[in-house]
Amino acid sequence: MAKSLVESDNGFFDKFGGKYVAEIIRRPLDDLEEAFNKFIKDPEFLEELHVIQRDYIGRETPLYYAPTATELLGGAQIYIKLEGLANTGAHKINNAIGQCLLAKKMGKTRIIAETGAGQHGLATAAACAKLGLECIVYMGEVDVRRQQPNVATMELYGAKVVPVTSGSRTLKDAVNEAMRDWATNFATTHYVLGSALGPAPFPDIVRTFQSIIGEEVKRQAAERNIDIAAIVACVGGGSNSIGVFTPFIENPNVRLIGAEAGGVGPKLGENAARMVGNAAKVGIVQGYKSKFLVDDDGQSQPTRSISAGLDYMGIGPQLAALGECGRVEFTSILDKEALEAVNFFAKNEGILFALESSHAGAAAMKIAKEFPKDKAIIINMSGRGDKDIFITSPVFRPEKWKEFLAAELKRLENNEDIHDAEIMNK
Amino acid sequence: MSHLIAGFPDGETSVAIADALVKGGASILEIQLAFSDPSADGPAIQTASTVALEKGYSTKQGLEIVKKIHDMHPDTPIYIMTYGSLAFTPGVENFVKMCKDAGVSACIIPDLPFDNDEGLTAACAKYGMENIPVAAPSMTQARLEEMASKGFKYIYAALRAGTTGSQTVIDQATLDFLDTVGKGGAKVLGGFGIRTGEQSKVLCKHVHAVVAGSVFVNIMLKDPKDTAGVEAKARELSGL
Repeated sequence: MAKSLVESDNGFFDKFGGKYVAEIIRRPLDDLEEAFNKFIKDPEFLEELHVIQRDYIGRETPLYYAPTATELLGGAQIYIKLEGLANTGAHKINNAIGQCLLAKKMGKTRIIAETGAGQHGLATAAACAKLGLECIVYMGEVDVRRQQPNVATMELYGAKVVPVTSGSRTLKDAVNEAMRDWATNFATTHYVLGSALGPAPFPDIVRTFQSIIGEEVKRQAAERNIDIAAIVACVGGGSNSIGVFTPFIENPNVRLIGAEAGGVGPKLGENAARMVGNAAKVGIVQGYKSKFLVDDDGQSQPTRSISAGLDYMGIGPQLAALGECGRVEFTSILDKEALEAVNFFAKNEGILFALESSHAGAAAMKIAKEFPKDKAIIINMSGRGDKDIFITSPVFRPEKWKEFLAAELKRLENNEDIHDAEIMNK
Repeated sequence: MSHLIAGFPDGETSVAIADALVKGGASILEIQLAFSDPSADGPAIQTASTVALEKGYSTKQGLEIVKKIHDMHPDTPIYIMTYGSLAFTPGVENFVKMCKDAGVSACIIPDLPFDNDEGLTAACAKYGMENIPVAAPSMTQARLEEMASKGFKYIYAALRAGTTGSQTVIDQATLDFLDTVGKGGAKVLGGFGIRTGEQSKVLCKHVHAVVAGSVFVNIMLKDPKDTAGVEAKARELSGL
């Protein structure tokens, strides 16, 4: 395996990656690279990070054996890495804490972040609250409207959420806005990018802080004699997947499988599949070279997925390289398959997957039979599904949900306590 | 050098804007091809780019506008400004050739860095055009000097630390920066945040050309018919 598939060679993973940015943003990237390379070898920094990971994030997270799922799927043993049990509900906190601690060591006092679904913004807001840093989260206006619970929680952590009204008003526009802020304010400010993408050194930094997921899986499997045949993770930008894959990239006995958002169908605009199908092109967008859903001119195209966290036109450069050379296999999962997987693991294992992670669950359900019973498939449950209640409830129980929302609105308008509300006296 | 976006607020008006800018004294036109994710631009240019794309002005249609403007003002050099995605996706050389055919004489693509430009400088040279890199005050002295010594005919100096669209202060640090940019013999195009004739007057002594961009876009965002306002502003900035 070429070294540049494991970590970047001067910012590149094979032909993908790089630092394709205007010079205005070059300096903060170079400064960050230097600081990261220094602190990631500093025992004091690593010890401080370790204590926070243990006591605040709640690591290590369990590697759960799923007996009913194993039996029902009738093939490999199913194990689920419960990253959703990390504080704030998803793996995003691993990177947010790592970068915020690094920023603090660099003397930065102000943190900015982009967020789509809000999970990365939430994790960054929590990390800033914990570490005493000012936090500004850029979020597309469309996402602010559809992800109100996360907006409310970020504000509770003391973050300022800035709705981005330019472009398509979603994740990619939030990235653009954060880049602009950084270009102006980098003397005091660190930009916590949330996925393993963007210009170098971000893909290396995010992978490093997320690879604790894979390191734990490796240790837990060794302690319990689990014979891993495959690891399955969902891939939006790719931070949870590269995190869990990293310690296994050079082990040819372990299949690495990425599940992309298949949305509602295979046509351009109906999904967010960059590696499956042939809609994506090699391109240079938002500071890095990778595979993107762009048109023949290079304009970014709309994507679609029930899972906001997978709804993005690009993929991290290392995963693109690992996909092109065949080391990571990609599959795409439809919205309805992801919903079925949420239901399957909730009913049979008492585990509630986030809609992002349930793409990995669905992919594992499809391939479990290909393996003998003495082999294991690890599903990375990157996040838990509490946050999706506004998306899953209208699907699973639309009438009751509608009644609930109407009653809540009425109660708010009448300024009533729940005990006095009309709905209690029916 | 004055800036407009091909296809904003619409095709016809963008041609009229170019006309107004030339009448107002612009000696070079910087025409931006709208891109979906213009992260090195401020909100005004991003909003205008979105409008242009909604009206269908991507590369081919944008270059048709450029061709029209070139035919009307054959003596005014046209520099294309856009992003790496629009050059890289069709192939950098192919993109440069399309620009050449539309009458363009230089490319400004800030996210194709001068030391990793995907063949942009070479392609421009092949078609008798210039690649104009964009320098920023936040660059380290070493990197800035490296850029200055690469033999570029022109270098665009982005004066403010951030993206386009805010006020620029012309102080000693700015003047020192401009000196370094021009050290290797490149002619300096200085801009970002130029708003008033006064700023322009101070700056013009130190650069080959003063660049004004979002000031015009802002006029058109306020009133998409106000080409007279654009011409008046161009007059103020050019000192006509």
